[in-house]
Amino acid sequence: MENIASLMHGFGVALTMHHVLLMMLGVLLGILVGVLPGLGAPNGVTLLMPLTFSMDPISAIILLTSMYWGALFGGSTTSILFNIPGEPSSVATTFDGHPMAKQGRATEALTYAFLSAGFGALVGVVLITVLSSWVAKFALRFSSPEFFAVYFLAFASFIGLGGSSPFKTVISIMLGFAFTAVGMDTVSGSLRLTYGIDELIRGISFLVAVIGLFGIGELLLTMEEGLRFDGVKARVSPRKVFETLLTLPRYWVTLLRSAAIGCWMGITPGGPTAASFMSYGLAKRFARRREGFGKGREEGVIAPETADHAAGSSAILPMLALGIPGSATAAVMMGGLMIWGLTPGPMLFIEQKDFVWGLIASMYLGNVVAVVLVLATVPFFAAILRVPFAIIGPVILVICVSGAYTVAGASFDLWLVLIFGVVGYVFKKLDYPIAPMVLAMVLGDKAEDAFRQSAIMSGGDLSIFWSNGLVATIMALGVLLLVWPLLSLVVQRLRPSRDVGATTA
Amino acid sequence: MSTNERSLVSRFAMEIATGCATLVAGIVVVLGAIEYETGWDEGGPQPGYFPFYVGLIIIAASLGVLGQAFLNHRRSREAFVTREGFARVMAFFLPLAAFTVGSYVLGLYVGTFVYLAGVMIFQGGYRWPFALAVAGGITGFFFVLFERWFQVPLLKGPLEALLGIY
Repeated sequence: MENIASLMHGFGVALTMHHVLLMMLGVLLGILVGVLPGLGAPNGVTLLMPLTFSMDPISAIILLTSMYWGALFGGSTTSILFNIPGEPSSVATTFDGHPMAKQGRATEALTYAFLSAGFGALVGVVLITVLSSWVAKFALRFSSPEFFAVYFLAFASFIGLGGSSPFKTVISIMLGFAFTAVGMDTVSGSLRLTYGIDELIRGISFLVAVIGLFGIGELLLTMEEGLRFDGVKARVSPRKVFETLLTLPRYWVTLLRSAAIGCWMGITPGGPTAASFMSYGLAKRFARRREGFGKGREEGVIAPETADHAAGSSAILPMLALGIPGSATAAVMMGGLMIWGLTPGPMLFIEQKDFVWGLIASMYLGNVVAVVLVLATVPFFAAILRVPFAIIGPVILVICVSGAYTVAGASFDLWLVLIFGVVGYVFKKLDYPIAPMVLAMVLGDKAEDAFRQSAIMSGGDLSIFWSNGLVATIMALGVLLLVWPLLSLVVQRLRPSRDVGATTA
Repeated sequence: MSTNERSLVSRFAMEIATGCATLVAGIVVVLGAIEYETGWDEGGPQPGYFPFYVGLIIIAASLGVLGQAFLNHRRSREAFVTREGFARVMAFFLPLAAFTVGSYVLGLYVGTFVYLAGVMIFQGGYRWPFALAVAGGITGFFFVLFERWFQVPLLKGPLEALLGIY
């Protein structure tokens, strides 16, 4: 097993004092952004990114991925204690987690959440360990047409499998492409879509967009709903944690099913949010006793948490091996890789062995560190939420705006982040999906390059996208997903309307 | 959303407005793209090719959204935002906009201090000595965090120039 050997080598890279300290720092910062409303994993990682430009890539990615794990955990803490999902992906955890906390079973709910989350993440990382070099080897056969086809498939799956109107998904993706086209064209060097505004020559940074869309947009939404923290007091006793731990194996079916759903949704760009809802829905449907869901059932916490974290960690696989991130946060991290001068994709596994396996090893350690730290710090982070929002809210905003400035040291970005904030607010309220826009902003240039290189290879003949079995299969899958909303509409019309709503998961 | 809050803007109106906005964005992208050649030459697609079609797809999808809005939201009385909700959003957004303008002119540190202190005094109802102390402490912490620890300079204004901090 060459992967095991590589992994052991990776542990050698990751297991230094410096890296373990970075991991702990990352996890703590992550829990903090996960707990604070309006600061989630994508923009937490985004805010930290400019500060890592001077670090070496391995340390930087360990810090950022640890923050990602921390944020996923922090999101569940607030879901359970305050009924406020710190992350979109932990919305499903509120359904049963908060009722459990209100019944005085907060420790149990938190322990179930963190342990099943840790389990899910571990399954995701094992999957990455086993599959990554195989996927990378497979992807080495790819050239430009295949890469374009894979990008096409990724975006088509947003359109086909996304919950919202396909038109809105298309708009979101295409606006993302338009934003990346702004500024210097990588192939011809011409300045596109700048409309004579000098500040646009640099282009529009996806980091600024993420801070606006996710950070400020989310905060505006939170403010509108009128924020009230009436949380449940949390004291985590080690004894209770241990007792809960012993009951966890009872739920092995839920754990395994949810982990499988999570891995699938993480590798395909479904993302953690969709994974957690789907997993909750399926847990409910397959449960022997259906009553009690929504009122504090253990499975109702375990299922979404496992899937959420399995998706979160396995989203790293396509990012590393193919250069296609499976979630918004992975997209941001991939943008970071490119800024550090690493090209995500199969070549990474050959040229940057230390980096790849160091990262994978750090994912094992990082998740263990995260479970321990999050259990230990629940009371502390719960206390932070008791600071009045008149102080916390503006401080979060200042961090967002300052963070946007640090991306490029450009005051023009202060306006951009404000505009993106308003766009994020309106888009969220009208169910325009935002993750596809971020993905398009990260992948836009690469997708366009792949398309143009393919066109150059074939002398302008578009049939190159059907020229061999591999590329034709990927394209066909993409087209199928693209017309999926249309197909399902036709099927619904043809079938009598008896089981509408059965597919809402 | 509770029923006793009055609707300010309907969901339908906002769907239409957003659809029109993205439609205009699509047209702007197309106009920007045709400053360059949008066709093919021997080197493959020219610089304007990709944005041109991206713009066209945005226009087409916007029309789709407008159509769906008429089908799905025309008769529904769903609110996009209520008066009360809008007031809460504005109470947050207007100081933010002022903070952005202020920081643009005065630098981020002065902007942060004034913004935090202002929000705490006028919206949080804190006494001004407490508010000034908290705002000053947080601003000072950010200064040390960004300028000293991470060595990432933030935007400075006339005050820093006066004090000679660069």
